[in-house]
This record gives sequence, structure tokens and C-alpha cells, in this order.
Amino acid sequence: MNRSILYLFFALLTGLGLGLAYSWFVSPVEYVDAAPAILRADFKDQYRIVIAASYAGTLDLPRARARLTLLGDTDPIAELSAQAQRMLASGEPFEKAQPLARLATDLTQGFASAPFTSTPVPAFNTPQFDTTPTFIEPQQEVTAEEATRTPFPTADFEQTPLAPDIAETNTPRPTFTPTAGPGTPFTLVDQETICDPSLQASLMQFSLIDSRSRPAAGIEIIVTWNQGEDRFFTGFKPEVGNGYADFIMQKDTAYSIRIVTGGSFVPNISAPICTDPNGVTYPGSLLLTFQQ
Amino acid sequence: MTSANLIKIAITLAIGIALGLVYGWVIDPIQYTDITPNLLREDYQVDYILMVAEAYQQDFDPDTAARRLAILGSQSPAALTTSALEYATRNGFTQNEIQTLQSLLTAMQTYQPQGSGSQ
Repeated sequence: MNRSILYLFFALLTGLGLGLAYSWFVSPVEYVDAAPAILRADFKDQYRIVIAASYAGTLDLPRARARLTLLGDTDPIAELSAQAQRMLASGEPFEKAQPLARLATDLTQGFASAPFTSTPVPAFNTPQFDTTPTFIEPQQEVTAEEATRTPFPTADFEQTPLAPDIAETNTPRPTFTPTAGPGTPFTLVDQETICDPSLQASLMQFSLIDSRSRPAAGIEIIVTWNQGEDRFFTGFKPEVGNGYADFIMQKDTAYSIRIVTGGSFVPNISAPICTDPNGVTYPGSLLLTFQQ
Repeated sequence: MTSANLIKIAITLAIGIALGLVYGWVIDPIQYTDITPNLLREDYQVDYILMVAEAYQQDFDPDTAARRLAILGSQSPAALTTSALEYATRNGFTQNEIQTLQSLLTAMQTYQPQGSGSQ
């Protein structure tokens, strides 16, 4: 009797083993209808590139966000930025990484923005209204404040919330007011020394602001020193700021900075010397603010 | 060993196999990770092709579009786009999306790969 039970037990175990072997190795579940979240990492990268390229064409931010969600990243914006930086680090041209950085930037700021193009665009303000009594008719309920508000230039920015509906009833007169265009130089407007012993490295931090006082992403910066040169772009750390970039400085080294857009040049920048409460000196950081 | 015992053992073996199959196929099937895009559900594949089409509307680069479509499998870019267009028509995609796919299809039908290095 005991032997029979033993045989049955072994038969059951053998059957289980055979069944598992068949279902796991010989004929495993065929995977179809998979979701993008379980794509291999390199295909996920490709998926992100296509999402960003599509977004560059449609500027449909909610849809791009929804598509990124499919990839199951815990922080899609950080993934986009990291991938853009990986691409640049591996020598891919900036034009390929830019859509990723731009999408990360737009997701961070929450609205779509058109990038600066390399081709200078004629800068002029679209219809600007004067405030003469004949222009504002009372029945139109257009306040003076609205009438005098200068619309965003539409020549280089696609969102035009103030595109004038009233233009159909009034004859706006375009005024070619010179405004800062994409090629306008950035100038150094502030240089702040940061003494923070908790910082691991001496950072040269950049904050670039465009002519509309908004952070400027995608601006190339070249830092040169006596032994080399480094090139990088703003906007690859959107978690810090869209117009932000940084560079690790070495002690006792003089750096020259060139903002490629507009050709600004700032020579002789070096790490400041800070002193902690105990009187020990250490290299500090710099925050350089450039305004277009 | 009697034939009755042999029958019992065979039945027990069969029960074991059945339990093993249920466990391996239903309860704890192999979890796939790192899949290739050709295993994506059809709607995801179509959305991917739509994204390629939307990007193509921006850069008009058929070489890049074909390369992006190539990760979906061994079908030609034109065949993939045709399938996507049919799916889009069946499933009520917007007219704009259908036109975008149509534009990509036209490009893929006339696309000639430029050498082997670009793929």
C-alpha cells in the first residue's frame, strides 16, 4: 500500500514536471498583442524618437504625453532628457536629439512652443492696434487694455492666443517694430557666485533667457580653456530649468564662453574661491545669466 | 505490479501533466520582456505608423520614415502603411490622420532605398 502511494506520488510529480517543461519551454505562451511598455530598451528609445518627431510636426502635447505613458517610464520627461543626452554623448548630431529635448521642455512647461530656427525670421509684430477713438467702437466691448496689448509675434512663435478676431471688423495696420529675433546676441547680465560646500563639483551654471524673458532651450554654448573645448546645449535638464545648462570647472583654469546664437563671447571666467565657516577654502560655483 | 496499479499511475501522471500545463500556461506563464515591435498589438503598431507619418509630414524624409517602419517587421514599408491605412479607415480615424497616412503611403510606394549603409 505504501509503495503504491509512493508510485502515485512520483507519477504526479513526473506529470507536473513534464507539464511545466512543455508549457514553459516546448510551447510557451505565444506573446501577441503586447504593449509598448515591455519593448526592449533600444526599441523604446526608437519609440521615443518617433514620438518626439511626430510631436515636432503636430505640436499635440496631450497626445505625445499619452504616447509616452504607453512606454511605462516612471519619469517620461527624465527619460527623454536622458536619451537626448545619451545621443549627444554618442556623437549624434544635435538635430536628432533636439526633438526629444524640445518635447521634454514642452512637457515640463505644459504647453507647446515652437523652437528657434536656424534661419533668421523677419521680426515684426503682427497687427498692432492704435487707440484712436475711431478704432475702438464701444459696441465691440474691446477694452483699451486689450486694444493696446501687443500680440505675441507670430513670425517665430506658433501659439497666437491673441490672434485678433476683431481684425475682421477693424483694419489693423502692421507696424514693423524691431524686436529681438532668433539671432539676437545673448549678453551676460548677471554673474553670481555660489558658495555651497554641499556641491560635489565647481559648476559653471548657465541660465539663458530669451527676448521675451522666457528660458531659452536648445542654445549651443562653447566653453574653451587652454587644454580643450566643450560644447553643450541648454534645455537638457528641464527639471532644473529650460534655459539651464552647466559645466564642471577645474580649479585655477580660465575659461572663455561663447554663446553660439548671436556670437556672444565672455573671456576669463574661473571658479571662485569660497571659504567655509572653519576658514577652509574651496572652489565655488558660478551662475551666469545671459539675456537676449 | 498489477494492471490496476499501472492504470492508477498513468492517471496520476496525466493529472500531473494537466496541472503542470495549467500552471505553466495560465497561472504563471512566461513573462516576456524586451519584446520586439512586431509583437505589439495592432492598434499600437498603427499608432506607431501614424507617428512616423506625422513625422514625415514635418521632414519629408522617406529614408528616415522607411527606416523607422522597418522595426515593425519584415513587411515592406508600403505594405505596413497600407495595413495601417486600412485599420484607420475601419476604426474611424480622423480625416486628417487618414490623409497623413495616405501621404506616407504614397511616399513609401515610390521609395527606393539609398544604398545598404543607411538601413
